[in-house]
Amino acid sequence: MSLSSREAYKAELTELARNDGRIICMEADLGGKNHVFQADHPDRFFNIGIAEAAGIDMAAGLAEAGFVPFFSTFASFAALRAAESIKLAMGYMGKNIKIAAAYGGVSGGWFGTTHHCLEDIAVLQSFQHVRIACPHGEEETRRVIREAAASPEPYYIRLARNDGFRSLERPTGSSAREILYQGGKREGAQLCLISVGEQATEICARLAEENPDLLHAHLVYVDSPSLKRYAEELRTLSGTFLVVEEHRGTGGTASYLSLLLPECRVYSHDCGEEWPVYGGTHAEVLEQLGFGLPGLRRQAAAIGGHHGI
Amino acid sequence: MDALITAGDRREDLTARLPELAREARRLIIDMAAGPTGCHIGGSLSVIDLLLAVFAKFGSGPPHAVVLSKGHSAAALYAALHVHGVIAENPAETYGRSGSLFTGHPNHKLPGIPFATGSLGHGIPYAAGWALAQRLKGTGGLGIAVGGDGELQEGLVWETAQIVQAKGIANFIYIVDVNGGQNDGLLEEISPVPRLRERFEAFGFHVRELDGHDYGEILHAVEPPPDRPLAVLARTVKGKGVRAIEGNPDAHYAKIPEKTAEKWKRSLS
Repeated sequence: MSLSSREAYKAELTELARNDGRIICMEADLGGKNHVFQADHPDRFFNIGIAEAAGIDMAAGLAEAGFVPFFSTFASFAALRAAESIKLAMGYMGKNIKIAAAYGGVSGGWFGTTHHCLEDIAVLQSFQHVRIACPHGEEETRRVIREAAASPEPYYIRLARNDGFRSLERPTGSSAREILYQGGKREGAQLCLISVGEQATEICARLAEENPDLLHAHLVYVDSPSLKRYAEELRTLSGTFLVVEEHRGTGGTASYLSLLLPECRVYSHDCGEEWPVYGGTHAEVLEQLGFGLPGLRRQAAAIGGHHGI
Repeated sequence: MDALITAGDRREDLTARLPELAREARRLIIDMAAGPTGCHIGGSLSVIDLLLAVFAKFGSGPPHAVVLSKGHSAAALYAALHVHGVIAENPAETYGRSGSLFTGHPNHKLPGIPFATGSLGHGIPYAAGWALAQRLKGTGGLGIAVGGDGELQEGLVWETAQIVQAKGIANFIYIVDVNGGQNDGLLEEISPVPRLRERFEAFGFHVRELDGHDYGEILHAVEPPPDRPLAVLARTVKGKGVRAIEGNPDAHYAKIPEKTAEKWKRSLS
């Protein structure tokens, strides 16, 4: 049984902190009681209360003094409520702060509109100098946390809520910054699926299994510099891409890749424009928004001819 | 102008020379107001004595951090850092101009400026985070934020006061330049911030009130108590030092003719 990404984050950070005294864990009262980091490193754990913007600015002071603060709250409160602090401290001044944003997308399910965040990638991508990582499953999340801790760059790590997934197999020692491929031949693919995030990767992997000649490229990092690098590689593989991401189409990864790949056809399977106003599980809310395997099958078939259904 | 202070100068000597440093800093601020862009002269002249005294007492680098949170008074910060020898260039020569790092709000690319402020409220939590870091490292360093009374309208200030209290961050000093003005007029007429002493005491701060232009009082007041964060409520006069604009809320931002600048500089006591 795999840990959910937000539990994997806590577990991995706690382990890393045993050998790295610079790591600080900050929570805005949404990390839950009995936090494993607090139990192991009480002197470096700070639940600062419900004060997201101040928390990011405080993390900037800690980072300037040589610490590596990881700040965690829900994606909506990080990317939107604390957006100005992130822009200033991380985007412009490059302070070494890592944000672990749980409840990304609509993983809050029945928690409702206020707890969903389908806009965070757009906001964070526009800050330019913040690494944005959307890992899939426990192992990939752990890998990203390790990479973030070792990097001097500011990070925004989008996590989900309670679903636990097994990450796609990745070569030993490789970085999550490398594109991970599944199925199909690598060059000359008629259609290349691109997955970003947990739910997207799950349905892309399913579709790729159904269609062995369909190429699936899984991206973890979706910040501007990473996507620029990926675009060079992707354009050698195919001229048609279908980006699958639990996000608005506007400002999502597909929209940025379409700018980077003007000679290609770039499509998006996303959460559309509707507000997620109904209750239900994570999967049910996604279904209400038209995001999921049935819709992806139809879209892939329409775009890629025989590669779909 | 050569820097008035060199690295070899002793702190005690600096405090004795504060009136001289303040006159030179005010000249620089007036020169910036006479430049092509003008500057936030009113709040710069009200806060300059506080900045100079804090730099004289604590210096401008680790283990302490001094952050000007009311960043629109950047002219005062640049002037203070220049007369203290931290910034070599004369900021008035290029302030606001194309290619100059002396932007209208503090530029973190300049020495002595750890955080770009000006969007109000952010310097205060930054200083609190720095203070927390010094506590964890055991350096004895302080996080010192110099803010404004208009800035107290920002929620970030009170988020930070809440956290400082909750986490027992005692090595934190928050100095408020209480000049009574803000961009569009008087605080009292726009959105007053009443009962400040009681507010900060309620958040667990030790509070000291003083004349923000009296160096003796400032130097004495910024001595941190051992067990609590310190809030210094410094009563100041907007435009202090220039009779023509003292206390005038309309002097928040000004661009003045060169002739006026010369007259004002001559009139500095």
